Amino acid sequence: MTDEMPVTLEGVSYLYGKGALSKQILYDINAAIQAGEIVILTGPSGSGKTTLLTLMGALRSAQQGSVKVLGHELNRARDRTLVRVRRQIGYIFQSHNLLESLTIGQNVQMGLKLDPAGGRNARQRIADVLDRVGLGEHIHKHPGQLSGGQKQRAGIARALVNRPRIILADEPTASLDKQSGRDVVELIQELAREDGAAVVLVTHDNRILDIADRILHLEDGHMKPLGEAVAEGASRMLNLLGKHEPGTASYLAAFSFALARVAHADDVVTDSERAQMRRILHDVAHLETSEVEFIMELSMMQHRAHDSSGMGAEHNALLAERQDHFVESLFTIAGADGEVDDVEVAEIRRIAAEFGLQHSRFAGN
Amino acid sequence: MARLLPLGWLQLKHQKLRLFAAIMGIAFAVILITVQLGFSKALTVSAVRYHSAMDYELVMVSPKTTYLVSTKQFPRSRLYQAPGFEGVDGVTAVYTQQGSWRDPADRTSARNIFAIGFNPSQRGFARLLTPAQHELIKLPDRIIFDRRGRPEYGPVAALFESNGPYEVDINDRMPILAGLYSLGTSFGLDGGVITSDLNFLRAFPKRDKSSIDIGLIHLQPGADPQQVQREIIAGIPRDVRVLTREEFKTQEIDHWSKTTPIGYIFTFGAIMGLVVGFIIVYQILFADVQDHVREYATLKAMGYTHGYLRGVVLQQSVVLAVLGFIPGIAVSILVFGKAAEATGLPLSMNLRSAGFLFLLTLFMCASSGILALRKLRSIDPAEVF
Repeated sequence: MTDEMPVTLEGVSYLYGKGALSKQILYDINAAIQAGEIVILTGPSGSGKTTLLTLMGALRSAQQGSVKVLGHELNRARDRTLVRVRRQIGYIFQSHNLLESLTIGQNVQMGLKLDPAGGRNARQRIADVLDRVGLGEHIHKHPGQLSGGQKQRAGIARALVNRPRIILADEPTASLDKQSGRDVVELIQELAREDGAAVVLVTHDNRILDIADRILHLEDGHMKPLGEAVAEGASRMLNLLGKHEPGTASYLAAFSFALARVAHADDVVTDSERAQMRRILHDVAHLETSEVEFIMELSMMQHRAHDSSGMGAEHNALLAERQDHFVESLFTIAGADGEVDDVEVAEIRRIAAEFGLQHSRFAGN
Repeated sequence: MARLLPLGWLQLKHQKLRLFAAIMGIAFAVILITVQLGFSKALTVSAVRYHSAMDYELVMVSPKTTYLVSTKQFPRSRLYQAPGFEGVDGVTAVYTQQGSWRDPADRTSARNIFAIGFNPSQRGFARLLTPAQHELIKLPDRIIFDRRGRPEYGPVAALFESNGPYEVDINDRMPILAGLYSLGTSFGLDGGVITSDLNFLRAFPKRDKSSIDIGLIHLQPGADPQQVQREIIAGIPRDVRVLTREEFKTQEIDHWSKTTPIGYIFTFGAIMGLVVGFIIVYQILFADVQDHVREYATLKAMGYTHGYLRGVVLQQSVVLAVLGFIPGIAVSILVFGKAAEATGLPLSMNLRSAGFLFLLTLFMCASSGILALRKLRSIDPAEVF
C-alpha cells in the first residue's frame, strides 16, 4: 500500500453532458504521481486541467479509464468511497474558499474533518499548522480581516492540518499579486516536502512553474509533451516581439548570439561565470533582469546544441534516427531553391562536424 | 477539546442583521399563533363558565338546546321524574332567559343580560352565591349581579359597594340589587344576574312556570353518573336529553368552535400564523444556504457529507425556533394581560400551553428547514474548482 502511487490515471476520458450535446473534455489521459512529487498541470484555459484535478480529487467520475487515488478505484465508486478519499486529500482553492463566519482557527479546524485522531491534540495541531504558514497570531481573526495572501495561506493551513498524502491546488496564485503568489507556492512546496505529500497544482501562471518536479501539459484535453508546449509558447512570444518591437528583438537576438560565441567559446561554462555574465549584462548593457535571463537562456540553448551530452553520446541509440532526420532536413532545406550547391553542402558538413553528427550522405566524400 | 463546531449557529451569528430579522419574524409568528390559540382557548373556557360553576352530576336539557345563551324549554315534570331513579339524590330546576338591563348611571342605554332563576332552597349554586345571598333572593325582587360582567352595564358594582342595595332596571321592572357574585364574560354572555325562581318569573311574566331550561340532577355520593344517566334515558320519554358534566360542556364548546364562525376564525388565524412563520423561516434559511453555496460545496469537496450539511441547516432551524420563541412568548403574555383586562376573557399562559407552542414553533422551523434542504442537495462539490 505504501509503495503504491498516490495517483494513477489510465486511459481516462471525460465528457460533459449526455448524448448529442455531450462535449469531450479529456482524451485518454495517462499519468502517475509519486509520493513527495510536485506536479504542475498547465495548459490554456479550457484545456481540461481543472476537470482532471477534480477527477483526482474524487469530485467527479470519469466515463472511461481508471482513476486510482490512494489505492481506491474511483470510477463507478460508491459515494461512501468518494467521501472517504476526499477526506484524505488536502484541497487548496483558487480563492481560498474560507468560511466567512468562522475564525481562521475554526476554518483550519474544519480541515480536521471528523478525524477521530484529531480529538485531544487538535488544538495543538491547529496552532502548529498556523504557525507554519505564519498566521499564528491571527488564529482568532475572521477571513474578512486578512489580506488575500494571508487568506490563501490560511487555506493552505486548512488543507495541510490533516496531514494529507495528496494536496490538490487549483490556481492558488490566481487572485494574488506576484510576490504573495510566489510566497504561497513556495510555502506549498516547502510544507509538502516536509510532509512527503504528493502535490498536483493546476496553474497557467508561468512564474511558478519552476517549483515543479514535473510538468504535465494539457491542450484541448490531450496530454502533450512539454517540448511541444514550450516550442509553441516560445515561438509565439518571439514572433510577437519581432512584430511589435523588432528593434528590441534584434538587439536581444544579437546579444544572445554574441554571448554564445564569446562566453561559451571554451565549451565550459561554470556557475560563477554565469553570475558574472548576468551582472555585466545588467550593469554595462543596462538590461532589465528579465531581459538578462532571456538572453542567458537563448545563449544557453545554443551552447546546449554544442554540448556533447545533448544530441551526442549519451542517447545515441535513441537519437540515431533523429540525427538522420536532422541532416536529411538540412539537405532538403538547401534543395528548396531547386538545387543543392557546394557552398550549402560545405556548410551542412561543417555543422554536422561541429555537432558530431553521422550520416550516410557524408560517407561517400 | 475541539469537537465539531456548531457551524449552523456560527453562520447565523455572523450575519447579525439577518439573524435579528429572522428572530423578529419568528417572534411575530409566535405571537400570532399564541394570541389566536389563546383567544380560541378563552372561547372554550369562557363558554362553559356556568357549566363549570354550577353543581350537578347530570343535567337535563331540551334536545333543541345547543348552547346556553338560547336554551329551549322542556317540561319541569320530566326533571321531577329523575329522583325516582336509583342514585339520584335531588334535582334543581333552572330558568334562564336574556333580560334587558339598563345602566343605573345612564338609563337610556339598554343591554341584554343573562338571567338565571332557581329555587334557592335547592342545591346547584353554592360556588356562585354565598349562603347569605341564597337567603336574600328568597325575598321578593332581589337579584345578585355578576361584578365581572362587561363595563357597559354601568358602574353597578361600584355603586353597590358605596351605597349598598339599590333599585336596578331589568325588563323595565325595578328589582333590588342585593349582592354581587363573580364569574365573568364569554363570547356569548356579557354579564349575568341570578335570582330565585319566583323572582325570575316576576321579571319574565310571560314565562311558564312549568317549563324550565336546565335541570340539574344531583347524585348520591358514590353513584356512577354514567350508570344513572343510562338508566334515566332508558326510563323516560325521549323528549329530553340527559348529559354528564363533560357532555354538557362539550356540547357548548362544539357549538362555539364548530357551528359558529368564531372558532373557525381563531383556528384560521393560528394556521395563518404558522404559515407566516413557516415562510419567514424558509426564506431566511433558503437565503442562508444560497449565500453559503460556495462554502458548502467547499465542505463537500473536503469530504463533509450531505448529512453533515443537513445537520447544519437543521441546527439553524432549531436555533431560530428557540431564539424566536422566547421574545414571542414574552410579548404574548403581555398581550394576554392587556386583552384579559379589556375583555374579561380568561386569557392565560401556562407551562403546558407554552410547551405546546414551543413544539409548534420547532415544528414550523424544522419543516421549513427541511424544505430549504432541497437547495442543498443540488450543490456539486466539483463546482468549487
